[in-house]
Amino acid sequence: MVVTILFALLGLITATILRLFFVLQRSRPRPPAALNAKRTLGVFLGSGGHTSEALSLISALDFTRFTTRKYYVSEGDHLSISKAKAFEESKFPNSRNFECIVVPRARRVHQSIVSTPPTALRSLFACIKLMTMSPLLGASTVPDVLILNGPGTCLILCLAVYVSKFLGLSAPRLVYVESFARVRSLSLTGKLLRPLVDRFLIQWPEAAGRSKKAEYYGILV
Amino acid sequence: MLAFVTVGSTRFDALVHAATTTDVLKALKSKGFTRLIIQCGNSDVAKDNVEEQGIQIEAWRFKPTLQDTFNDASLVISHAGSGTILDVLRIDKWLIVVPNPTLLDNHQEELAESLSKLGHLKATTVSGLADTIAAFDPATIVPFPKYDGTKFRAIIDEELGF
Repeated sequence: MVVTILFALLGLITATILRLFFVLQRSRPRPPAALNAKRTLGVFLGSGGHTSEALSLISALDFTRFTTRKYYVSEGDHLSISKAKAFEESKFPNSRNFECIVVPRARRVHQSIVSTPPTALRSLFACIKLMTMSPLLGASTVPDVLILNGPGTCLILCLAVYVSKFLGLSAPRLVYVESFARVRSLSLTGKLLRPLVDRFLIQWPEAAGRSKKAEYYGILV
Repeated sequence: MLAFVTVGSTRFDALVHAATTTDVLKALKSKGFTRLIIQCGNSDVAKDNVEEQGIQIEAWRFKPTLQDTFNDASLVISHAGSGTILDVLRIDKWLIVVPNPTLLDNHQEELAESLSKLGHLKATTVSGLADTIAAFDPATIVPFPKYDGTKFRAIIDEELGF
């Protein structure tokens, strides 16, 4: 009996590791889309300068393709919500094809390190509900691409996307753009996200040291 | 001509204080400025609504957007926040930045120094502000590249197979 359970456990662990290994492999971009294919854009607005950079990044995208937009905003960040609304108004007056989704913060400004784990866990559960559970139940859809510019909470969103990937559910392509303010080193969020995202873009040539994954095409915002 | 000193949402007592010193006002006057607006944020300003050294001084803490004041100004003197830097350089205004030395673990100095090396702005310290204004030569300023969204769009299009 004990041996059977042990073997079952061992099998489960091996399967999990193999699945993780598979999921962490760099996946390929989506195959060519039909000319009239409609897509959903997801973008995390991290407040302050992060929000300005994110909105600047998406402003030149092909909005005839992105017929739906999802703006992920940190809890309590009303300014980013009004900026997202103003941005939508400037692009599509009277459009209703967008939503602002509030995500609990991974860590509040000045929050002590000790009290961070429970807060981050709460944030993770909320993100899993958003990215994994509710699409699974048909209550919402997952964006086709998720654009991230920092700070910390976008790591949690990213982890939730990995839960979907692990379960073989549909997941957005992940594109991280390091802040224009980072000249010679990456932010902590950037360092943590680098192995997880599909594309990792920097805006200064020396921001990522000798990282092979980081791509530099000049200032993007 | 209007000079605009801004500290954004931060507190930067030393810069706000330096802005109304006789040396700085004299330097502004020597460059042809007649007006100075100070957005002092969470710092307190010593002078408001007065004229000194031939410069009309006005101060306020916050406004919902600084864009209008940036447009009106010929010269912006700012803390080295990346948002303000982009906003100002994108509309081709003269910019002097003063990184806040009291901030720990900030990358303002790196950003200010790099943009200064490229010639887009002048970076200075609080004590060097008057001299930097007096020596400011617009002919040495290299225009900042315009916003170009095509590169990022190409990446997203590639990812989604457009």
